[in-house]
Parts: sequence; structure tokens; C-alpha cells
Amino acid sequence: MSWHNILLVARREVAQVMALKSFWLTLLLIPIALAVGPLLSERLEDDKPTRVVVIDRAGGEAAAALQARFVFERDQRTLAALSRYVRRHKLERADPQAPWAQHDRWYTPADVAAFRRAGGLDAALARIEAVKASDTPSFEQPPAAYDIVPATGALATATGPALTAGAERLIRAEKDAPAAERADVVLLVGERYPADPTVRLWSNEQPRPAFVASVQEVLTAELRQRLLMGSGLSPQQAAAVQSAAPAIAVTTPPPGGGVREAMLVRSIVPIALAYILMMGLMLSGSWMLQGAIEERSKKLLESVLACISPEDLMYGKLLGALVIGLSMLTAWLGAGAVVAFATQGAIADMIRPALAPVTSPAAIATLIYFFVMGYVAISILFVGIGALADSMSEAQGYLMPILLAILLPVTFLLQAILSGNGGALVQVLTWVPIWTPFTVMARLGSGISAIEVIGAGVVLAAFVALEVVLLARLFRQSLLAQGQKAGLKVLIERLRPAREG
Amino acid sequence: MQVLRVAGLTKRFGEVLAVDDLSFSVAPGEIYGFLGGNGAGKTTTLRMVLDIIRPTSGSIEVLGNAPDRRNTGAIGFLPEERGLYSNMSAIDVIAYFGQLKHMRAADARAHGMELLARFDLADRAKARISEMSKGMAQKVQLATALVNRPRLLILDEPFSGLDPVNQGLLEDEILRASRDGAAVVFSTHVMQHAERLCRRLLLLRTGRKRFEGTIDEARAQLPSTIDAIAPDGIAGLEGVANATRRQALDGGFAEWTLDLAPGVSASDVLERASTRALPLRRFEERRATLHDVFVHLVGPEGDAGTSVRENQA
Repeated sequence: MSWHNILLVARREVAQVMALKSFWLTLLLIPIALAVGPLLSERLEDDKPTRVVVIDRAGGEAAAALQARFVFERDQRTLAALSRYVRRHKLERADPQAPWAQHDRWYTPADVAAFRRAGGLDAALARIEAVKASDTPSFEQPPAAYDIVPATGALATATGPALTAGAERLIRAEKDAPAAERADVVLLVGERYPADPTVRLWSNEQPRPAFVASVQEVLTAELRQRLLMGSGLSPQQAAAVQSAAPAIAVTTPPPGGGVREAMLVRSIVPIALAYILMMGLMLSGSWMLQGAIEERSKKLLESVLACISPEDLMYGKLLGALVIGLSMLTAWLGAGAVVAFATQGAIADMIRPALAPVTSPAAIATLIYFFVMGYVAISILFVGIGALADSMSEAQGYLMPILLAILLPVTFLLQAILSGNGGALVQVLTWVPIWTPFTVMARLGSGISAIEVIGAGVVLAAFVALEVVLLARLFRQSLLAQGQKAGLKVLIERLRPAREG
Repeated sequence: MQVLRVAGLTKRFGEVLAVDDLSFSVAPGEIYGFLGGNGAGKTTTLRMVLDIIRPTSGSIEVLGNAPDRRNTGAIGFLPEERGLYSNMSAIDVIAYFGQLKHMRAADARAHGMELLARFDLADRAKARISEMSKGMAQKVQLATALVNRPRLLILDEPFSGLDPVNQGLLEDEILRASRDGAAVVFSTHVMQHAERLCRRLLLLRTGRKRFEGTIDEARAQLPSTIDAIAPDGIAGLEGVANATRRQALDGGFAEWTLDLAPGVSASDVLERASTRALPLRRFEERRATLHDVFVHLVGPEGDAGTSVRENQA
């Protein structure tokens, strides 16, 4: 074995692939996705509040009650989100008595009232700002879910068909029409309400159950209030009856600390690596084939074999494929790391805790080992396909089915592991070398015993060693055997030890 | 010291005997023709010399060593099937092969540029092979074989597919390599090239050596033919194996084609005609061409058990 020749071949292979435009496009794929993804996601996200036009012909009390209810709901959600933010970044010292510093409850109207009395979100953020570290990300208030507006113009007084036509015109208006000319929901409270308790609702799609439930609850409360007052209770007594509700104490793990959530967070990096390995193999498979088949398809095999041995040629090609694949994956991981650590936002916030469980030397070594060995194990199969075929089109005919056979189970496997399913199939695939790298990496987050990791690693190493021996035979036997149809019989014949003469 | 020495070389592929007990040697500066029909075993022998395949039995010595990749630096090889890395530039391909032959990158590039200049391709040194004509690519491939200034230059059917200009260029390079002391072994089907270039040649048929020797010795393998204008008595001279009367002429003369018996020379027949006072208006010896010898030894006639003389150099 000549390292000089192996390195020469590997260098040529790398230079050849790097000269391809497809390589650079592939290399830029992940950084571009990371850069464009959040922008696209922002554009695709519909965070506009549902616009509700209320026609209240019963005096306006119902509309006011609805308005108050949805404002309350938003404050309640803001309070819950602020509590979670404070808990994640340990900022309770900003105001230990504030409701947002107490995380063990379902926030009641009384909590929301206290929050408002203390100055609402602005006052809370001012207190938090005084104690938070400079690298702590800013709090983002949940967007308003509803925008409640009274009907204006002709619609406010229209009746019969004109009312229906007006309401339908609003809900059928384009999304980008001026706000005054469109609505997601039109709600009519009739003149004889509550004597006639019918409330009419026009909606541009199936209304959200939570919205209908809130409307029903508000209007029911309002009806009951009137009935209670009609029964002789004072408004205060009626209101007290209405607001009687149990206080619900809630105990939850800190953000990222729940069993499922913790498993997901711990699994982010290993599963991302498994996906990246899968993607890298899919994208670089055809380059490996091209490299394996190049000398034969271009009729320069004899010229090359006159200078170097078939084994050196094969090792050089494998090394080249490995360098290309790993440099591509390193570039992707590097881009991901830069985005994660350079940005002060949700991604960094998510990645940092996700990296924490995989920062031990053993975990890093395990990830690198299975990642590299997985790449080598499957690359060898690709080079073997190239050695069997005479042309690129013939080789690609074999590549796709084999790629699918290897990688399709991986997608199901990763989903199963993410769902917490550690059943027999996952256990078995841990020991099948082709799937070992994906399974072990994916299971690192959810828990896999050291014995299993070491055992599967040893089996994988033995498999790669066997692959190298068989590939060397296949490569040598196939090199000068052009024109033979590459069937199973030929494959088995070529995998046998060479019989000189 | 011989550059290449092959002794008792045999190669079997399963039941097929591709090369059968072949022996020959090539000296420095010698141009050695390796001739034979399709499937004669030429390429198989050359592949064994290059250690691309291993012999079943027999021995090969290249510069005194068993064939392996340590000899690569001393060997230049131009295969019959030709191709290059199409995405590489001409000079990069030449430098790559130079490095595979243990040259330093800078030396390989420098000599590669010299060769490209000699082949009128200096201005295309950085052009990709895919951008070159077939003729240009053939010159680049020749440069990959010559870049390491080989002491043994092996050319397998080097003239096939070349236009007359490139054939001339290749002949010049073969002669140049020989002048510089390299042993040149080339296989060919084209006898004119062998006649022009080879000092010695070997004829192979179904893996067996049918002849080895100089061009003259090869031509002597077949008896000469004599074109004569003489009376009928010439047909009965001793040493004339067969006489064909082609056309009757005036005065009792006729045009004759005479085939001589083995071992009989034209001068023997002329002497016997003079002794018998046989008048001759024309007596012209026509020696067998290399083509005749090739067809005779390698073609279907070769099965007839024709006696073959081996002339060891």
C-alpha cells in the first residue's frame, strides 16, 4: 500500500468534485436554508389577529363584554408566557411577589387584575430589564388572537338581506383588503337580546372552537347576570356568583425539563446529525459513483493501473469521498453552530440547552465515531456499485433502490425514536451495521446503555473491515472485466478470494 | 543488461490458455515489435509486464526486478484503449501521471510543458481535455506516457485511431526514446510501422511465439518468388518448387513466376540457369514482405504446422 499514491488519488478526487457547481450548490444548501428559513417562516406565519366585527343592537353591553374577555385572555397568555420566560432565565428576583414570578398556578382574573394594577407588561419588563444579563434574549409578547371592532356604516343598521349581504361582503373580502372592509367573523347580537338569546355568526371559515366557547361563555355570563339581577340580587352579588371559580394550582417542570420535552431537547443534536448524515449520503452518492466509475467509463483504467495498484486506487477514492463528505458536513454543522451562537434569538435559545447533554468527551467521541463510520460504511457500498457498473447510467440504476432501501427505514426509525418508541425494531436495528449509526445517534438523546453503544460500535467496525476486504476483491476483479452483466452470480464470483491463473 | 526479460511466461484464464510459454527480451535502445492477430495474447502479456495481472507461471524481469509498482518510475505505457480525465487540464493530467510515476510535481509539470511545446500544444496547456479535439487529446495521452522519461516504453497498438500527422509524430517520439536509450516495445497490426521502426520483432499466435528475430530474418521465413522471362526449360531447374507460366511471348520465351524450394536462394537458381546456358531476358527476385510473413504465420495458414525458425537475438 502506497500512501503517496492513495493521497494523490484522493486529492484528485476531491479537486474533481470541488470543480463541480453541484458541489458548491449542495454545500451552500444548509447555510442558505438556515438564513432563508426564518425569513420564510416569518412570512408564512399568519400571526394576524382574527378580526371580529360585532353588531350589537342590544345596547352595546354584549360587545363590551366580549371586548373585555378577549383583552383578558391576551393578558392571561402574556402573563403565562412571561412566567415561563422568567423561569427559564431565572429572573424571579426582579419582583418575587409579582404573579409572573410565581409559576405554580393557572392565572385567574385576580392575577391578571394584579398584573394590570402593577403596570402591566411594560412595568414588568422594566423590572426584569434591571436584573437580566446582557445576553439574555428579549421577551416576545404573544400576538393578540382577536381584534374586536364594532360594525360601522350601513352594516351597523342594516337588516334582512342587506345585513346578510353586508356581513358576507366583509367575510369574503381578500386578506389584504383594508381592515375596515374585511372581517374574519361577523357577530350579530339582536335588538331583542336577551329576550331572544339568538346570536348570529358569519365566518370565513370553520370558527375556532376556543373562540365560539369564549363567545358562548361571555354571553352566557351576561345572560346569567341579568337573570340573577332580575331575581333580586344586587349587581355585586350577581357578579360574585358569576366569578365563583376554583383556584387551580399547577406544578410543571421548568422549561425543557419535562420528560418528553427533555428527551426532545437532548435528542436535537444527535438526531440532527443522523439527518445530516442521511442527507449528506443522499447528496454525495452520485459523486462517489462518478469517482468509482470514472477510469472505466473514460477508458483510462489501464493507464492508471500501470502506475498504481487497484487497492491504492480504491483506497484513494474512498478517502476522497470521505474528505468530500466530511468537509461538506463540517461546513453544514459549522454554519449551524455560527447561526446558533451568533444570533440572539430563538435558535440560539434552543440549541444551547440542546448542546448541553452532548458536551462530554465520551458523548462527542461517540457521535464522531458513529457519524464517520456510518459515512464510510455506506460510501463503501456506493463505491462497490460503481465497481460493478460499466457506465454512470447503469450505476445510477442500482444506486437509487439501494439508497431508498437504506434510508427509508431510517426516516421511520428516527420518528419512532422521537415518539419515545424504543420497541423491538429499534433494538434490532441498533445491531444491523447499515442502520447502526443512525439508530445509535438517534437513541443517544433518549437513552442507550454504554454496553449497547460499545457493542454496536464494535460490530460496525467489524462490518466496515469486512466491507473493505470485499470491496478490494470486487474492485480488483471488476476493473478489467468490462461488458459483463453485473448480476448476483457475477457479484458473488468477484467477492471470492482471487485465484491467480 | 536487458531492460525487459520474459521467460516461460504462461497465463490461463480458467480453461483458456491466453499466453503459452513465452520468452523474449528487449535491450536498451531497442525498438521491439510485438505482433499478432486479435486475441493472440499481446495485451495480456503487456498487462503482466505492467503487473496489472499476474502470470500463471514463468518469470518477468523489468530492469532486473520482478514486475511491481516500484518499477512505475521507469515505465511509460500507452494503452490501446485511450481516455483521460475530461475535467482536468492537459498539464494537470500530465503532472498527475508524472506524480503517480514518483516524479516531483514541479518536475512533472516542467517536463509536461516541454512535451506539450514539442507537440504544438503549449498554448492549450491549461485547456480542459473535454475542450480538446481527439487528436489533441491523443497527444496529451502520449505525453502522460513520456513524462517520466521512461527506460521501458510500452505502446499497445499505438497507431490505431491516429491520423497520419499524429502517426508521424508518434514514430518520431519512438525513435527519440530509442535514441535516448529506452527500450521500446510496441504491438501493432500495421506492418509498415513495424518494418519502419523495429529492429527485432516477435510474432504471436494464440499465445504462442511463432517467430522472433530481425525484419530480414522474418522475410526469409517465406521463400522468395522470381519473376522471369525465359524459355520453358526454366521450370525444370533444380530448386524451383513451382513454376507458373503467365504469358507466352515470341521466340519461345514466356513470362514465369517461380516459387523456390525452402533453403534455395535466387542466386542458386540463376547459377543453374547459367550453367545450362538458359537464355534469360528478365530475372527478378521478389522477397516476401512482412505482411506475407504475418499472414503466413499468424493467419489460417499458421495452423498447417509450417516450420518456424526462432532467431534468438
